[in-house]
Amino acid sequence: MFIDDKSPYERCVFIRAFEQEIAALSAAGEVPGLVHLSTGAEVADVALASVLDSGKDQVTGSHRSHGIALAMGASPVRVAQEILGRVGGLSDGLAGTQHLMAPENGFLTSNGIVGAQVPLAAGAALTAKTNKTGGVGVAVFGDGAANQGAVLETMNLAAALELPMIFALYNNGMAQSTPVGHASGETDFKTRAQAFGLLAFDADGADYSACAAQFKQGAESARGCRPTFVEVTVTRDDGHYFGDLPDAGNPAPTEAWFENLRRSLKAKGASDDQITQTFDATFERAVGVVKEAARSPKAGAAEYRQWLSLGANPDA
Amino acid sequence: MPEQMMKTSEALNAVLHQAMLDDLTVICIGEDIAENGGVFGVTEGLLSTFGPARVIDTPISETAFVGMAVGSAMTGLKPVVEIMFCDFVGVCLDQIMNQAAKARFLSGGRLDLPLVIRTTMGAGDGSGAMHSASLHGLFSSISGLTVVCPSSPADAAGLLRAALKTKGPVVFIENKNLYDLEGPVPGDCLATPIGVAKRLTEGTDVTIVALGQMVQEASHAAAMLSAAGISAEVLDPRTVKPLDVASIAASVAKTGRLLVVDEGAGFAGFADAVIARVTEEAFSALKAAPRKVCPPDTPVPYAVEAEEIWLPNAADIVAAVQTMMEE
Repeated sequence: MFIDDKSPYERCVFIRAFEQEIAALSAAGEVPGLVHLSTGAEVADVALASVLDSGKDQVTGSHRSHGIALAMGASPVRVAQEILGRVGGLSDGLAGTQHLMAPENGFLTSNGIVGAQVPLAAGAALTAKTNKTGGVGVAVFGDGAANQGAVLETMNLAAALELPMIFALYNNGMAQSTPVGHASGETDFKTRAQAFGLLAFDADGADYSACAAQFKQGAESARGCRPTFVEVTVTRDDGHYFGDLPDAGNPAPTEAWFENLRRSLKAKGASDDQITQTFDATFERAVGVVKEAARSPKAGAAEYRQWLSLGANPDA
Repeated sequence: MPEQMMKTSEALNAVLHQAMLDDLTVICIGEDIAENGGVFGVTEGLLSTFGPARVIDTPISETAFVGMAVGSAMTGLKPVVEIMFCDFVGVCLDQIMNQAAKARFLSGGRLDLPLVIRTTMGAGDGSGAMHSASLHGLFSSISGLTVVCPSSPADAAGLLRAALKTKGPVVFIENKNLYDLEGPVPGDCLATPIGVAKRLTEGTDVTIVALGQMVQEASHAAAMLSAAGISAEVLDPRTVKPLDVASIAASVAKTGRLLVVDEGAGFAGFADAVIARVTEEAFSALKAAPRKVCPPDTPVPYAVEAEEIWLPNAADIVAAVQTMMEE
């Protein structure tokens, strides 16, 4: 629980710094594959997590899930170790950046298949409903996934079965390299969700208070078995994957949410110096965590053989 | 409970009733399984006994409801999800191949996935090309799945009990032409172990491996061969994966000949896998090249006589064995 008692500002800055350090390590060749960074969606991640209870709710996410896993309370060191393929990672480095699993913290799984995480969240919702825990299943997905059959089917299923479920669409305007306007016959996803019978909300991903308020309403409705849809407009600050070209027309994407959160801290009486100090301390803490993970030994034969030792049929 | 004569569908139904009674986390999910009791009657009566919260009719959205079953298994339920015909996995394969099959591995073993995917296989009933396939070989090529294909009411019951106790996903394939087959079913709760073959007839000249409804054809063939003085041993692996290679190889060590009969793919399917594994293990015992009797490499045809040509039968098996005996 790295973010207990921390302000939304600190949480968002932590994720930003974490991702920047992952990017630096990626550039240095310390990450086995490509990484899809959450930069630009920090506010959405932190606002969503703020309305959830990691003890009874479960979130599933896309390939771009470092931020939401951290926001739900997954151990930052273990998340970083997993991304870096290091011993001690959530799954000892055998799963990797696209398959983060921290069900202990309410982050069930991320996913390498666009949209496939959405039916899984319906399953978490079904379990919560069956066991009467009061929990919800939450699927986080992008505008690219919004056109997957898995997502459309699950919207209908959740409405038909009255599942305690939240569909959280982070609309960053790009499906890998294809703009949303090109990929969607109708880009008003809220209307689409309403047509399936979901209660729908939308929010600006640069405005923390608005996001948190919409997610709160969404969660309240979902907990009463009226599934909901919340669309948040976010940016994608490091392209599809780190090293990709930056998204066009997105020149200074982080400034808006930084400024909004700083303004709200100032309104509560914080001085510029205090805010800067908070930023610096949080940034340093996040970078330190990722550096610590990078010092862990690389996972490899021993971890893999451990799994193999379960035998040819570990599932029976 | 004493041993009873039951149809396969009744045996499966009884196990589901008992499982839901014993364990509140067992739920059933699928198309037409609640109100309708399943198109083959396997889930009959579950709705009235256990209610709509645990016996769930779904929209015709296999990806969504199979995925929902996977997610519920990841979070503590034990779902039994029905895919009406295995041909339909084409629309939801991702949720089986990437989500169910990989979840335990990707979690580093932190999560179990107690999921049973019930589906059907089998040609011969005029259901045509998209309701007759037998895809056990395809499923068994996916790492992380256990695949079983029972051929009798007792094994259907026993293997379903076993499947409900596993930590990982099981694809449980019922041959739809065996639902009405009657046989004795033990009343106790002993599960038929997964991964253990059953010997149906003992023989010394040739080992015939078959599962599902091909077991009946193999048994008929063995009787016909016996009349011709050829002693055939029929083995039903019952589980496709993990395959009981040891039992098959031991039989081949005795007979020196291996014939696999299967209504799955003739190329890169179950038959090829059995031949490859047994050849690796018992090469020196072979007196003839291992052979297989599989359907022609086309979709299942609809017209009665065409389907009869497509589906392997006892005469095909006898002919193949006679060829092997002459080699």
